[in-house]
Amino acid sequence: MVRDRTKDPFILRRYVVLANKNLRRRPGRTALTVAGVALAVAVTVSLGGFMLGYRVAIDKSINMLGFQVMIMAKGCPYEAATMMLKGGTGLLYLPADTYDKVKTDADIESITPIFVGVAEKQASGISDEGSASNTVIVNGIDPPSYQVMKPWLAFKQGPGFAGGRWFSPGSKDEVVIGFEAAEYEQRKVGDTFYASITPAGKPDPVLHQFKVVGVLERTGTQDDGTVFLPIDVAREYFNRPNQLTILGIKLKEFSSSKISEFENRWLSLPEVQVVGLQQVKTTLVNLVATAQTMIAAVTAVAVIVALIGVINTILMSVYERTAEIGIMKALGARRSGIFELIWLETLMMCLAGAVMGSVLAVAGSGLVQKAIKSLFDLGVSGSIVQITPALIGYAVLGAVILGFFGGLYPAWRASSMRPVDAISRGE
Amino acid sequence: MNMNEILIEAHGLKRHYRRGSETVKAVDGVDLSIRAGERVSILGPSGSGKTTLINLLSCLDAPTEGTLLVAGRSVAGLSEDELVEVRRGVVGFVFQQFSLLPTLTVAENVELPLTFLGRRTDAQRTGEILKTVGLSDRASHLPRELSGGQMQRVAIARALIADPKILFADEPTGNLDSTTGEAIIELFKQLAHDKGLAVIITTHNTVFGYQADRVITLADGRIAKQEELRGGTSLSPLAGPKQKTARAPRGE
Repeated sequence: MVRDRTKDPFILRRYVVLANKNLRRRPGRTALTVAGVALAVAVTVSLGGFMLGYRVAIDKSINMLGFQVMIMAKGCPYEAATMMLKGGTGLLYLPADTYDKVKTDADIESITPIFVGVAEKQASGISDEGSASNTVIVNGIDPPSYQVMKPWLAFKQGPGFAGGRWFSPGSKDEVVIGFEAAEYEQRKVGDTFYASITPAGKPDPVLHQFKVVGVLERTGTQDDGTVFLPIDVAREYFNRPNQLTILGIKLKEFSSSKISEFENRWLSLPEVQVVGLQQVKTTLVNLVATAQTMIAAVTAVAVIVALIGVINTILMSVYERTAEIGIMKALGARRSGIFELIWLETLMMCLAGAVMGSVLAVAGSGLVQKAIKSLFDLGVSGSIVQITPALIGYAVLGAVILGFFGGLYPAWRASSMRPVDAISRGE
Repeated sequence: MNMNEILIEAHGLKRHYRRGSETVKAVDGVDLSIRAGERVSILGPSGSGKTTLINLLSCLDAPTEGTLLVAGRSVAGLSEDELVEVRRGVVGFVFQQFSLLPTLTVAENVELPLTFLGRRTDAQRTGEILKTVGLSDRASHLPRELSGGQMQRVAIARALIADPKILFADEPTGNLDSTTGEAIIELFKQLAHDKGLAVIITTHNTVFGYQADRVITLADGRIAKQEELRGGTSLSPLAGPKQKTARAPRGE
């Protein structure tokens, strides 16, 4: 009984077996071609994993900030970005009444004022001028609204850290310390913490003695290296009673149109810049955009070279088998049968390359991550290469599509041969 | 199989083609008919048109002029795809170079046409065919493990797997020694007798060529001589087989 090969799995299997045996006839050549495809797929998957992972890492970093929008004094947006992620110096200040004006905005869900200053750490009150890093970022905060913005903040527990809490009302000598700052200074709850603060407009620093009332759990953000004071106390000690550094804001609706409306509304304030997360994100993404473009170019070249390799291999194989193709036609193969056979060979090579390349990419993702991190400072922590099943699926699909198109020409050449010419040319 | 069935009928068959400014008349007006079970040898020197004629009769090539019926179907003016449809299941081929696929086993080579015809293979049927050609014990061997004669037997088995009505063999003994060639010719004789196959071979070897029911000698693309040998003979043409039909090429 004559069966349609596209519907009868048995016949399709015969075609697959035949294509497979044809490819194995020149194992070296086939292996090299498959390796070329594998390399292109591995590069593509790694790059895709990097782009995916990097964006996720940025999103995660930004979500850990708690703010969607910041209002701060005009300055370099790169510095703003850095400040948000790592802390920064050379600070500019806003008038304190900005807080009172902005908090009336109907779109705001919550708002917290932050005063940022830089103090000198003094071990046991003794100046350590020889130390390379003896400064510490001091954040003056309003704990109730700050916690609304960063609900994940928690106090470290365990021996020496029990009973951690925020400042008592009206206290002027209590500090809460971030995880890393506490580790570095070897401070526990109840310990004393010394810091020298130079009041604005005064030449000499003033040494302050604080009591550590709480140590925060690790957050993975700049809060880990920060010392927290009540905002009014910080303003008083830095002698900037009517200033603040940042207004952190969460909007009721987090959409780019709402953020943009909000930004436009408050940009009218003098000396103020409104930094939305999108801007920060864009700034960070721009930092590696060039590198990504270069890697994308390398990927494109790898894919093109692999495709040319595949086409070349199949074309050579078709030319070598000219007589054989003529014989197959003499034995009853239709043009479509020859076309499908050669096409199948191309697809099988691409599929094999795609599978090998994906395995290579997964196995080598750790190395790729190390290499990227050593080459570029991306400003984010955690895994930046994320190879997901969907990504591998797309890469395999892409390779099959390449094979689909790459196989068209050789398959057409083979199927167009007249059997008489093919047999006589091949003999 | 009706032994009187005419499987091939050609009238005024021509195959001309251009080579530069010259027109080559590879086949130039051939009339013939071949019945089921008949063994026909086509003889002639190189360039006489043997291969072109066998290509036309087997529907591998289309005539430029004339009429040709193969198993009752008119072939003139058909496209390549249409010629394939005429060939499928009607025509079997054996080539001088054997033309086996080196990576397929003997059994897989024999079953190859079924894949292209969209038919399922049947191990029992393959076994029977291999038994017919005397290669039952070689089914799982690769072509490189066989002798020339065995390879040609595989090619014959491959030609038989789809139950053709006509078997074409272009110089089937060209790459074989005389003993092996003789065995192959005997196999053709047996197939024509047992299965009612029309067997058409081209050959340079007049000894093998005259072991047929009919011998057609070509010269310059035309039939120079046609001899009926009534059941075939093992005699050399030099011994003088009776010339039943002789016809001067047209135009001479």
